[in-house]
Order: sequence, then C-alpha cells, then structure tokens
Amino acid sequence: MEKKILEIRNLTKGFGRRGGYEYRVIKGINMDVYSGDFIAVMGPSGAGKTTLLNLLSTLDKPDGGSIILDREDLIKTGNKRLSEIRRDKIGFIFQEYNLLDNMSLEDNIALPLALNGVKSREVEMRVRKMADMFGLGEHLKKYPYQLSGGQKQRGASARALVTEPEILFADEPTGALDSRSSRELLMSLKNANDSGKATILMVTHDAYAASYAKQVYFLADGQIQCRLVRKEDRKEFYEKILDLQISMGGERE
Amino acid sequence: MSLLKLSCSNFRRSVREYAVLIISLAFSVFIFFNFQNVIYSDAMDVLANMNKDYIDMVIQAASVVFSVFMLFFTWYATNVFLNQRKKEIGIYIFMGLDNARIGKMYALEAFFTGVTAWAAGTAAGAGFSKLFQMLLLKMADISADIRFSFSLRPVLITAGVFWLIYGLMIIKGYHSIVKSSVLDLLTGAKKEEMKPERPLWAAVKSVLGTAVLLSGYICSMHTGEEETLLFVLAAVILVIVGIYLLYNGLIPFVVRKMCRNKNYLYQKEHILWVNSLAYRIRKNFRMYAIVTVLMTAAVTVLGTAFAMQHRYDKMVHFQEMYTYQVISFGPELDRTEIIQGIEENNQVEYSNELTILALPSEYFDTMYTNAGYAVVSESQIRQAAEEVGLDWDYPELGEDQAVDLSHVMILSLLSPDKTTVINGRQYDVLATDDTAYLGDLQRSMDITVLSDSQYAELKPYGSEMKIYNFKIADSDKLEKVNASADYIRSLSQQSEDGTYEVGSNIIYPESNEDSYIRVAYSVCVFMFATLILAAGSIIFLKVGNDAREDRERYTILKKIGISEKILWKSAGKELRFTYYCPFVLMAVNSIFAIRALGSVMREDLTYVNVISALSILILFTLIYLISLRNYGKRAIE
Repeated sequence: MEKKILEIRNLTKGFGRRGGYEYRVIKGINMDVYSGDFIAVMGPSGAGKTTLLNLLSTLDKPDGGSIILDREDLIKTGNKRLSEIRRDKIGFIFQEYNLLDNMSLEDNIALPLALNGVKSREVEMRVRKMADMFGLGEHLKKYPYQLSGGQKQRGASARALVTEPEILFADEPTGALDSRSSRELLMSLKNANDSGKATILMVTHDAYAASYAKQVYFLADGQIQCRLVRKEDRKEFYEKILDLQISMGGERE
Repeated sequence: MSLLKLSCSNFRRSVREYAVLIISLAFSVFIFFNFQNVIYSDAMDVLANMNKDYIDMVIQAASVVFSVFMLFFTWYATNVFLNQRKKEIGIYIFMGLDNARIGKMYALEAFFTGVTAWAAGTAAGAGFSKLFQMLLLKMADISADIRFSFSLRPVLITAGVFWLIYGLMIIKGYHSIVKSSVLDLLTGAKKEEMKPERPLWAAVKSVLGTAVLLSGYICSMHTGEEETLLFVLAAVILVIVGIYLLYNGLIPFVVRKMCRNKNYLYQKEHILWVNSLAYRIRKNFRMYAIVTVLMTAAVTVLGTAFAMQHRYDKMVHFQEMYTYQVISFGPELDRTEIIQGIEENNQVEYSNELTILALPSEYFDTMYTNAGYAVVSESQIRQAAEEVGLDWDYPELGEDQAVDLSHVMILSLLSPDKTTVINGRQYDVLATDDTAYLGDLQRSMDITVLSDSQYAELKPYGSEMKIYNFKIADSDKLEKVNASADYIRSLSQQSEDGTYEVGSNIIYPESNEDSYIRVAYSVCVFMFATLILAAGSIIFLKVGNDAREDRERYTILKKIGISEKILWKSAGKELRFTYYCPFVLMAVNSIFAIRALGSVMREDLTYVNVISALSILILFTLIYLISLRNYGKRAIE
C-alpha cells in the first residue's frame, strides 16, 4: 500500500459573511492522496477548483474540516510552520510561470534548494538532473525572457520538484501554453510521476491535460461530483473524460 | 474628464508616493533660497563692517555650485519619476490617448509636483530664514543680532533658477514620452539590462577603470609639490572618470563573477540578492557613480571648511604674536624705556628686539620687485625667539644654508622653494618656517635667515632695521590696545626729507577683515550636510523605485514558500550594498582627497576624514534603516 500523503476531511470554505450574505465555495470535500498519485481536479469556472488548491497548498485557510499533510494537520499549524511546510513538502506550479526574471533558469531552479541550505555541489547536481528530466539541459544559462512559454513552465515545474516535495500542486499549468508546449509539459510531469519522483495534484479545466493524470475528480458547486480512474490508454481516457463532462452539463469541445 | 482633471486626480492619488521626490526638491529650494536670502536681505547688514561683499561672494559661489548640483539632482530625480510614470500612464494608451496627450499628462503631473515642491521649499525657506542665518553665524562664531527680514528678490531668483532647471526636465520628459514607442511605455526597457556584456569589453573597462582611478590617486599624492594645481585637476578628473568606469566595469564584473561562482551563490540568500544586484547594477551604475562623487565632494568641502577655519585661527594667532612693533631705520632705541612707556597703561607680557637687513629686490632672484626683502642672522633670530619663548630648533646654519620665514596663509598652491639665490649666491633652503618670530612684519616681507657670516657679507648691500616687539596682556581687548597706541605712535620719527626713521605697527585684535572666511566655513559645513543628504536621498529614491518593481518577485517567492524572514534578510543585504558600497569607495577616495587638501593647505586633516566618514556612516545607516523598512513594506509585506 502506498503511503498516504494528504487526507482531506469535510473541507469547507466560504466568502462574504459577517452579517452579510455568505457564499460557500467549498462544501465539505473529502479526498485522499497517496504517494505516486497523479490527480487532476476538473470543473467549470466557479466550481471552486482554485479555492480548493489554495486551501490544500496552505495559501488560504479553510473555514472547517481538516487537511492532514504527512500526519500534520495544516489547519492547526501556525504561520511559521506553514511556511516551512510550503518550503519543504509542497511544490507549486502556476498558470503564470512565476520564474524570477532577474536570474538565470539554472538559478531559478536552484533557488529553493539554495535557500534551504543544501550544499552547492548537491544543488548543482540536482538542478542538472531536474533540468534533464524536463528537457532544459541546454537552456540553464538563459534568462526567462530568452525562453519560450513552454520552457518557462517546464522550468517552473523543475523548480517545484527539485526539492523532492511530498506533493506538487499545479494550478492550470497549461493555461497559457500552446498545444505543443502543453504536451511537452504534461509529458514531463507524467515522466516525473512515473519515475516515482512526484505526486501531483493538478487543477485544470482542460480535458486533454487531465487525461495525463491517473485519476480525475470532477468538482462542481463546491463538491466532488464523481471520480474517474484511468485503466486504459490516454486517448481513451480522454474520451471518457469528455463524455463525463458532457453528461455533467459541460460542452464537448 | 479633461486632461487637466485627470492629471490633477492622478497627482492627488499618488502624492504620497512622490513624497520623497517632493521633499528632496523642496529641500534644494529651501537651501538655495536661504543662500540667496543672505545676500539680498538686510538681515546681515550688521556685518557691514565685516566685508559683507566678501560674504556675498562666498555665498554666491556656493549658490552657483549648488545650482549645478541642483541641475544634476533634479535630472536624476525626475528621471526616476519619469520611468515610474511611463509604465503607469502608458496604460492610458488603451483608453485611446496618444503619446502627445500622455506626454502632456505627465508634464502636468510633473508641474504639480514642481509647484508643490517649490512652494513648500520657498515657504519653509522664508519661515526658517532667520534660523538659517543664526545658524550660519553661530557656526561662524560671529555674534550679531539677526532680524527677520523678507524681500522679494531671493524668492524671484530662487523661482527663476528652480523653474529653469525643472522646466527643462519637464520638457525633456515630455519629449521622451512623445518619442517612446507604445511598447516602451507599457513594458519599460527590461530586457536591455540582462544582455550579457562582451567579455573582452568588460575586461577592458575593468582594467581601464582601475588604472584610471589608481592614477587619480597617484596624482593626488603629488599635490603640495611642484605643479600642484595641475595635479589637483588631473586627480579630480581621473578619480571621477575612474569611479564611473569602476561602477560600469569592475564592480559589475565582480558581481557577475559572484553570480557565476555557484559555490558562493548557492549559500542561502546569496542567490536572491546577488542575482538582483547583478541584474540592477548596470542600470544603476550612474546613480552609484553620482552618489560616490557627491559624497567625496562633500567630504572635501568639509575638509576645506575645517582647514580654512583652522588656518584662519592660526593666521589670527600669527598676526597677534606681538601687539606693537617699533621699527627703526636709524637710531637705536631703548627697549626698557618703551616697556615703561607701555606699562603706564598696560602690562607687557613679553618683548624682544632684533636687527634685520633690508635688501633691495634686485639682489634676489625674483620677479616680485615690489615686495620687501630682508635677511636676518641666525644668532639674532635664535635670541629673539628665546626671549619670547619660541623654538628655533635648527642646527647651526652652514655657509650655503638658509631658512625661509613665511607666514600662515589660508591656501597656497605654491610649493616652498628648495633653494634661494641672494646676491648671486645660492643657498639650500632647509625649511620654510611659519612661526611668527617677527610677527606681523613677517606677512609683509620675505625674510630669509642666514648664518652670521653670510649676514655679515651681505651687510654692505642693504640697510639694517632694528625691530622692537611687544606683547601686552589682554591684547584681544581693543581698549587695552588703544590705551598705549598713542604712546607708540609718538615714538615715530621723521627725518627732514619726510621719510620715517622710526615707524610703528599696531596690531588690533582680530580686525575682522578676513571674517568672511568664518562665514565661508559655515557655508561649507552646510554644503557638506546638503550634499550628503542629497546623496542619501538619491539612493532612497532609487530604492523606492526598485521596490515597486520587486513587489512581483517577492510575491512569487512567497508563493513558492520562501519565508518573509529570508526575504527581509536578502533585501537587507542588497540594500546594504546599495548604501555602503558608495560609502566605502567614498571613504577610500576621501583619504586621498583629504590628504591632497591637507598638503595644499598645510594642515593635518586626518581628523576631518574620520569625523566626516563617521558622520556619513551614521546618517547613511539611519537612511538605510528607514529605506529598508519602507522597501520591505512596499515590496515584501
């Protein structure tokens, strides 16, 4: 049995309040993530995908429920420790690449390791390894402005995974990429997952991106409506996802 | 909404952001106005008897220096302002505004900023003018009652100078916006900064810059010798160029090297601040150079002030070595009798007498034929010195040795002679001594000490003068000096043809004829404070501007889990470099500058160097702390 990394119980989150109208975005979500999982969370706009991700990645605080990451309840954890958890156990990729424009790709990837006090030789070794995994070996000396969108996003992924986090959260990682760059990124993520280096939880509205995952959760109206587990090859899985989307009221693109 | 209203509301909204710009511009106006006010108001007329003309000249000179400084400062500050605004008002492109109208909007906003700064500076200037003048005189150690006075002229002149400079900058900004491409307006020239430099060119600049700076230092070591003025000029130019090249060559080169050395770079926050520095330094090298040069200039100005003050005190002391001098070309006088005469009203503290030989100028190898020349024998000077308690520490003079007696001067660009020729014979000058052996007389005559035998040889060519010197107690009180003045004058004797056989010289207490030097001193101290504050505020402005740009980066860093503590640490290190790098370079520069100044002014100014460096360090540390807080609030929190 794989190790349970994340356990989410009865998670709720609302906006508004204090006497006024309260809008509940997340309405009691339960979910378990095991080591080696590659989960996509899909749903229409406003379904609460990003809010869920923000809660899981400790960027936001829930109103109720519990998030247990590696046996630690994040809701009862202080800010300082949360910062450490973000640094040591969680990796992030965002829709905007969020690379620092004032340093080379190499330094961007090395950043979390260097700040964690890892020895420089090891930093260099791990950066090189990550860069190779994401097909960036030749671009390490370049600055972000010299890279394409896809390269930047792969760079961001390499940076997120270089610390070997327990889990990688990806928020619409292909949102700003063309189809070829999307495919390259997703392949890289899949490779990282397959080689046992990454447990991934990705939020996306794109069925194609989701088809690279092993499981897809459908979120609507703040709740998980259903879950698809991939048993077949990716293309069939993609068809299945699309069908489910239609049956849930979405449109087939 | 009209353009005027839009600019108005923009300005009102962002007035807090431009506070630093407005305050620094207002401060320039404040200082400039006060300098002008000293000249044109009648508040300082109390100093009429103290050469107000000279004081005006000193202040006018300071004003000119200050306007030049104001020009550069305004240039820099408005440039920062312009780049900030470009991106923001560039957004109006999407509202259908064209470049010309965006330019107009900028010009209007800049105009409002200028009006605010000018009005605030002038109002504060007028309000504090009395305090300013009191401070000026207090520092100059001149006691006078200052009345509050206000006249329109300094206001108009200040307005004229300020608006001429600021107006030019507004036009420059307008022009720059009109000429900018839409893309420039929206993104700014970010990509430019990160292009790697060609290694050869970087190496050439690094080596050249270091060489130029070092040769500037070497030149500064040669001041106080032959061709002082030339060396001073060369040193100033070489050091300025060297600093410029250093910030544009060697320092970026070193920072880039630090970036490439991953062993160093991957140590905790180094990766953040060294990268940020490397990214910025080429964009900001002019700022660093300006600040370093400004600070070096400030320290030199302060050194000049202290040296002048010190020299002035020495000069006064020199002049007041004796209160009365009686000079006889013929008859020998009885010193005891004169002492008795003086002591009817005063008490004589010490006295001496000696004989010197006045020689016509043609016996000297000189082009100044109107100056008085004299020689004095070693034994005479030794005895005279001993009588009044002065030291004469020279070994017995050889036949071809001499000691020149000079006097204390404010500044001398001439190097002392190594040899002197009298009546065709060359003497080695062992020393040029500015001890007041002959008191005030030493100021008006060129006097050379020779061995007794050489003196005897020259005796037939000149005429001997007997000099009787007396110092009274309380010689700093005018009424005391006056009490015996009539008696001293009564000693004068005229021969039948009207020439004086016996003459007298009465030295009144500090006659104030040179007290403009004291005012110059306090003006210099003000200049020092202003230049240092300006240097500090230039960095402050730049850091404030960077904070806006860095906000995005810190947001990313926080998102990926970097704690605020580390970000503050990194920001602190980067800002420390920004403030202390120019400081360290200034400190090195000032060692040479002050040393050169010291050798020109014949003063040991090491203490000025230490005091100024320490005061700048304290001020910069304060500004650094405020700046870091401000930066962190804007960029990190």
